[in-house]
Amino acid sequence: MAAIGVHFGYTCACVAVFKDGRADVVANDAGDRVTPAVVAYRDTEQIVGIAAKQGRIRNATNTVVKVKQILGRRYDDPDAQAHREESKCIVVNKSDLPRYEIDTGETTKYVSPEDVAKLIFYNLKETAQSALGSDVKDAVITVPFEFGEMQKNALRQAAECAGFNVLRLIHEPSAALLAYGIGQDSPLGKSHVLVYKLGGTSLSVTVLEVNSGMYRVLATQTDHRTGGESFTHELAQHLAAEFKKTFKQDVTGNPRAMLKLMNSADVAKHTLSTLGSANCFVDSLYDGMDFECNVSRARFELICSSLFNKSIQPIKSLLEQVNLSTSDINKVVLCGGSARFPKLQQMIRDLFPDVELLNSIPPDEVIPVGAAMQAGILVGKDSLALGEDSITVDCCASDITVKEVDDSGAEVFTVLFPSGTPLPARRQHTLQGPGSLSSVSLELYQAQRPIAQIVLRDLEPKEELHDIVTVLTMKRGGSLHVTCTEQGSGRAEAITIETAAAAS
Amino acid sequence: MLKEALDGQLTALYNAVAASEQVQVEPVGRWFEAFLKRRTRNVSASFQELEEEEQLSEEEEDEELQLEEYPMLKTLDPKDWKNQDHYAVLGLAHIRYKATQKQIKAAHKAMVLKHHPDKRKAAGEQIVEGDNDYFTCITKAMEMLSDPVKRRAFDSVDPTFDNMVPSKAEGKENFFVVFAPVFERNSRWSVQKHFPSLGALDASFEEVDHFYSFWYNFDSWREFSYLDEEEKEKAECRDERRWIEKQNRASRAQRKKEEMNRIRTLVDTAYNCDPRIKRFKEEEKARKESEKKAKAEAKKREQEEKERVRQAEEEAARMRREKEEEAARQVAQQAKKEKEAQKKAIKKERQKLRTTCKTHSYFTDNEADGVRMMEEVEKLCDRLELTSLQTLNEALASGNKEQSKAALEKQVQEVNVQMRKEKEAEMQAQQAVRGAEHTSAGGGGLNNRGWNEEDLQLLIKAVNLFPAGTNARWEVIASYMNQHSSSGVKRTAKDVINKAKTLQKLDPHQKDEINRKAFEKFKKEHSAVPPTADNAVPSERFDAVSAESNSSPWTTEEQKLLEQALKTYPVNTPERWEKISDAVPGRSKKDCMKRYKELVEMIKAKKAAQEQVTTKNKK
Repeated sequence: MAAIGVHFGYTCACVAVFKDGRADVVANDAGDRVTPAVVAYRDTEQIVGIAAKQGRIRNATNTVVKVKQILGRRYDDPDAQAHREESKCIVVNKSDLPRYEIDTGETTKYVSPEDVAKLIFYNLKETAQSALGSDVKDAVITVPFEFGEMQKNALRQAAECAGFNVLRLIHEPSAALLAYGIGQDSPLGKSHVLVYKLGGTSLSVTVLEVNSGMYRVLATQTDHRTGGESFTHELAQHLAAEFKKTFKQDVTGNPRAMLKLMNSADVAKHTLSTLGSANCFVDSLYDGMDFECNVSRARFELICSSLFNKSIQPIKSLLEQVNLSTSDINKVVLCGGSARFPKLQQMIRDLFPDVELLNSIPPDEVIPVGAAMQAGILVGKDSLALGEDSITVDCCASDITVKEVDDSGAEVFTVLFPSGTPLPARRQHTLQGPGSLSSVSLELYQAQRPIAQIVLRDLEPKEELHDIVTVLTMKRGGSLHVTCTEQGSGRAEAITIETAAAAS
Repeated sequence: MLKEALDGQLTALYNAVAASEQVQVEPVGRWFEAFLKRRTRNVSASFQELEEEEQLSEEEEDEELQLEEYPMLKTLDPKDWKNQDHYAVLGLAHIRYKATQKQIKAAHKAMVLKHHPDKRKAAGEQIVEGDNDYFTCITKAMEMLSDPVKRRAFDSVDPTFDNMVPSKAEGKENFFVVFAPVFERNSRWSVQKHFPSLGALDASFEEVDHFYSFWYNFDSWREFSYLDEEEKEKAECRDERRWIEKQNRASRAQRKKEEMNRIRTLVDTAYNCDPRIKRFKEEEKARKESEKKAKAEAKKREQEEKERVRQAEEEAARMRREKEEEAARQVAQQAKKEKEAQKKAIKKERQKLRTTCKTHSYFTDNEADGVRMMEEVEKLCDRLELTSLQTLNEALASGNKEQSKAALEKQVQEVNVQMRKEKEAEMQAQQAVRGAEHTSAGGGGLNNRGWNEEDLQLLIKAVNLFPAGTNARWEVIASYMNQHSSSGVKRTAKDVINKAKTLQKLDPHQKDEINRKAFEKFKKEHSAVPPTADNAVPSERFDAVSAESNSSPWTTEEQKLLEQALKTYPVNTPERWEKISDAVPGRSKKDCMKRYKELVEMIKAKKAAQEQVTTKNKK
């Protein structure tokens, strides 16, 4: 069973397919693994992808970029207004909904953002199907965590219009976790993961709790002003300054020259992620004058140092928000094309000195791969139609711990049943007591409050340690059942602790 | 390290655990799906683990496959491959149709390793050349069993399968022992993977019902292509192939039908023998019976209750009636007694009055006055109540002659006044009754206001008098009405038209009714009560209606006869009216004269009215 995972971003879209147990990104017809989410309208045709992006220099007013910003929003939405001001393509108000005004020769067309998204989705579908060689339609699509109901619906509709059978919409951070298979091997245990996504135009940082293989978003922060484009822009500004220095000409007032410079800076930026220096070369940038300039990585990092600091900033504030320290984070996942910056990765590493930084999958492919994996899980199953894109489950309210003494005799608490475990659940532990004892006691605590004590008596003293298998089972309501069995003699004790509500 | 329990420490609960809290999770990952599945199927995690373990153990089983050597293998004839037991050949005789593809493959491999001609040659065995070696049987067996279609065909005719259907007698005695293995055996033909078991004696109705509905709708994959007599591949041409196919199809269908019949017989037999079905039927019957009984009882009870209530009511009513009757009788007796007493008293008083009057010779000297007085006294005696008579008598007795006379006369006057008053009241009442009757008889209802019987009568008469086509007909009729009406209501032509129309609208029957009623009324008025107010003198009240004047209205025949007579006897005829009255039977001379006068008057009035209208029109 094959299925498709789609990441539809602000600047770029990427599609991955799940086939034969593997999820892989598919290269489009231009050979790129990532397709720019740009649609250019010409007199008779619509162009999607890199061609549209490159043609933007000449056809800026009829080229739609970053359509995701406006998708599913009303005209008077502040975000839509921000997009309108920024967009080179004219956005008009049609009965309270935004429409792109497209000038196709004689007539003026009004195109809805959904139609633009549909074209991109159609392009992605073609890409995926050419790789799979069949008419696979089942797809999982990722959405940013902050997307509202209307935007999700608009995205889903656009995808369905393009011929996808949308299995589910999932959030980008959880797709990123899934791509690395975090918590998928064993349903036990609990960890915290930070997802750092620096995309083309936005930066989002999310902290998730992984418990029993299920993901739960603790907090998220999104900054729509910081992204890969800011870096490109900064670099382009630098190049313009260089040009001015050399040719005594100011190109910043010339939009076409600036677009050319931006494209050149973009290429240079990509090169600098892998190489130490990059050459920028623009033919007849201004007044027939060619421009050539060499930028080193150190120079680039210097130019963008404030941006880098700005990009790191949200991590700290987010951790403060959820009351976790950097050491509480078990893993950091990088995604978004701009997370490739070596400098950025280094800064994150510095921030989390002993945390595994997951960047083995190219960061701009992490999310589609995760989506494809989810599609692989869902496809072929008569999955229940989920009303919302996340679902509520009953969870254990706080840790169940047992009091033990360590070698030095100090009291320590061992977590037996972590908080946030989806219920019903069963956890099994083997606790040990000194073999010399004829009796042991287990004192169970929840949130520093003793809840029960289990005493096992008449144990046979022996050389080795007493192995006491403790099984904790918590029901959906929260009532806890504990069974302790001493392996040697088979002596067992069992108790059931009701919840406060049930007990009263 | 756990701590040692102190002396006296026991297993104990201290506090309740915190209740679970709801959190939102991301709908991704396989554990989420598993969780969702568990939640919707409502099974515990341990149950799912169990299921997974089962799957695992199945897989493990495959590995430890044991092959049973087929002792006859070497004696098999490859040409007779159709009759060989392919499972036995591969050493799978003990698992047969339950063998998985994997097992078959493994078995084949093992067999090939052992029996391949090259192997045996190396071991120095004698090999039959060509296809006649028994190794061909192994190849053939593999060929049959590795292809699911062919394998199914072979499985369908598995020689070890027992097609036996237990007889009824067997089933009756020991149902579960006999039938459980049979159903178990036959269930392998089911297309569905899960089939209900026969169950035990105490199975619920639903289980048993499910079991039988499964078997009655049994969907079998068993087919009999293996037994095809002709082989399609052997055919030399298309036609022959077609013929073979046809033959095969027919025989297969026949066999399939037989198989279906067999299953059907089996299920039927089982159903008939099943003690549970019998029990359910009995239970159902008992239930229905008891329901029916309960219903009937309830009905009966209800009826009884009703009857009881009715009787009680009747009894009560009867008692009440009797009591009332008793009371009424007593009252009546009382009244009778009183009445009699009063009568007696009155008689006595009257007698007294009369005698007093007589002794005083009616307080008069005049003979005629005496007679009149006598009459008056009689009247007094008739009309006066007991008390007034008594007072009168006392007055007469106590006072002298003059006083007595005055008292008597006063009394007489009072009585006379009273009588007149009564009469007037009666008259009024009569008038009111007439009015009421008139409105009710009107039929036209709404615009009947102000139209009394007489007016209607008059209107009908006028309408007939001035037929359609008369000049200014309705004005004429209206003025005629106004002239002749006794009610004194002024009517316009419009009123008259409306009324006439409503009258016309009434169906003839109703019209007749009105006419008849009017006639009756007229008759009553003229015969019983003197109609006019001016002759309502009290003294004339007792006057009998003159014998000869027949006041009943004139019928049409009479009218015709009268007219005829009037024509035959002209004015100058001697004793004209006598003759006329003779010609009209039942009418006296006076009647005829009266009628004639009326007619003349009527014609005159008619003419006058017409003239009036014409003059009006002229104006």
